[in-house]
Amino acid sequence: MQEKLPEWLKHSEDYTPVKTGGAFIEKSIASIGGVMTKIKLQNGHEKGRSLPALLKLFLAFGLIAFLSLTHEKMWILGVVSVIQLYLCMWPARDIATILKASLWATLLAFLLFLPAMIMNPSGISNDLQVILKVFTSLEIVSIFNHTTQWNHITGALRKLHIPGVFIFTLDITVKYIILLGNLIVDLLTAMRLRAVGKNRKEYQSIGGVMGVTFIRSTEMSREMYDAMRCRGFTDDYKGL
Amino acid sequence: MHIPENYLSPVTCGVMGAAMLPVWTHSIKKVAKEMPKEKMPLLGVGAAFSFLSMMFNVPLIGGTTGHAVGGTLIALLFGPEASCIAVSIALLIQAVLFGDGGILALGANCFNMAFVLPFVGFYMYKLLMKLMGANSQEKSSAHYISAAIASYMGINVAALCASIEFGLQPMLFKDAAGNALYCPYDLSISIPGMMIPHLFVAGLVEAAFTVAVFAFVRKTSPDLIFENWTTDSVVDKPKRHFPVYALLAALIAACPLGLLATGMANGWSLDVLIPDYAVSGIGEVAGYIISAILGVAILVIVFKLASLPMKRKAD
Repeated sequence: MQEKLPEWLKHSEDYTPVKTGGAFIEKSIASIGGVMTKIKLQNGHEKGRSLPALLKLFLAFGLIAFLSLTHEKMWILGVVSVIQLYLCMWPARDIATILKASLWATLLAFLLFLPAMIMNPSGISNDLQVILKVFTSLEIVSIFNHTTQWNHITGALRKLHIPGVFIFTLDITVKYIILLGNLIVDLLTAMRLRAVGKNRKEYQSIGGVMGVTFIRSTEMSREMYDAMRCRGFTDDYKGL
Repeated sequence: MHIPENYLSPVTCGVMGAAMLPVWTHSIKKVAKEMPKEKMPLLGVGAAFSFLSMMFNVPLIGGTTGHAVGGTLIALLFGPEASCIAVSIALLIQAVLFGDGGILALGANCFNMAFVLPFVGFYMYKLLMKLMGANSQEKSSAHYISAAIASYMGINVAALCASIEFGLQPMLFKDAAGNALYCPYDLSISIPGMMIPHLFVAGLVEAAFTVAVFAFVRKTSPDLIFENWTTDSVVDKPKRHFPVYALLAALIAACPLGLLATGMANGWSLDVLIPDYAVSGIGEVAGYIISAILGVAILVIVFKLASLPMKRKAD
């Protein structure tokens, strides 16, 4: 017995789905994915053989505060040059990561200050100073992050005798950004795979994605609490 | 709305940070007292949720997208005090881990987005629900309209606070010549500059995001929403690289020699980097060393970056 191809299968279909729509899905996946990779791949060079996290934290904070407080050109340029000197000893890939983040914010700051510089030319040197400070502060934060693992940061905070509940919450937050982030990316990917053309119910889908994430997050926190209880936790957050 | 470093004076940052202390203390006390112990991990999870909501793109007209802050939504879901702590932590992580918003400006950012936004949004919602009368409690539309108006108001009041913080800078912090040291725009520019985009775009994004998520949770798990928390439902329902360095060191050490060889190597970067170097009174030797360090460092960075695409090809 020979099966014949049904008539409708013999025609080639020419269907072009209407574009637009779903851009927010792609963008959300990209921004959330970017954040997660940054947290997960904290494998910048110098990890483990650098200065103690606590010292770095103080150094970074001190430099940022100093930069913000001083208006002496020599001091500002001094800090700027030391940072660039340190940075130039890094591998190119790492330098690129640090500069990418800092330069975007600097460009934004420049665009923001541009009208002020045009309207009031006498203030240009001050405006440029602020822009330079924005760039350097961001470089400092990025260098700190690139060379410090998150758990060392919380460890450093612990040595400062910051309450346990706070550090506990900080740690959970970072872990759950990954867990919930994965969930959001999965939901969005599922939506993207099933969607063809224009999505008329975009807002409902946002409600769905973030709503499900919220419900799941309350479940996860409940599960975590139960897991803590099972390991002998006695509701004493101070002793954590 | 994240205020970066150096847009606000350190003094303003200090004042805003000090203003947040009682708010944080109140919130922590209130949460510790009222939030059931088993809900404590929810603060961290809530902070993660709040962080991710700020990353989530919301569709706008014409295929463009925008970000919501989600402050009112977090307040509606977790309560205003818990949301204050959750959003503060999300902002801390953004500042420290991502350089989004200044570390010194954290107090000001928390004031606008972790205090003003959720509290205004939450109490506005409560007030609207009250104004609508008792029988509106049952109507879903009343809840959605209140949530939309409340979140729109919340983000706009927060934006107004940020614009006032910016606007006060040129009035309070000037150098001897009367030029602004930080943000150069006064209130007459900062307020419309911040408010126009927030009234017409960001506010609408925030309202749409809030209502979309709030409606979903209300329909599917209404008992998870803060206003429906009761001790019973919470407790009983468990469902729930060396040569280069040598060269570099030699260059820097050799630089003050440039002082002797005037007209040869000395003007190479100073005129560009420190335009009014002669007037500003920077010591000559210090100035040379600084520009030498900067020049060398920047050159090394530029060459390393230029080599990146070649390396990729080799890989």
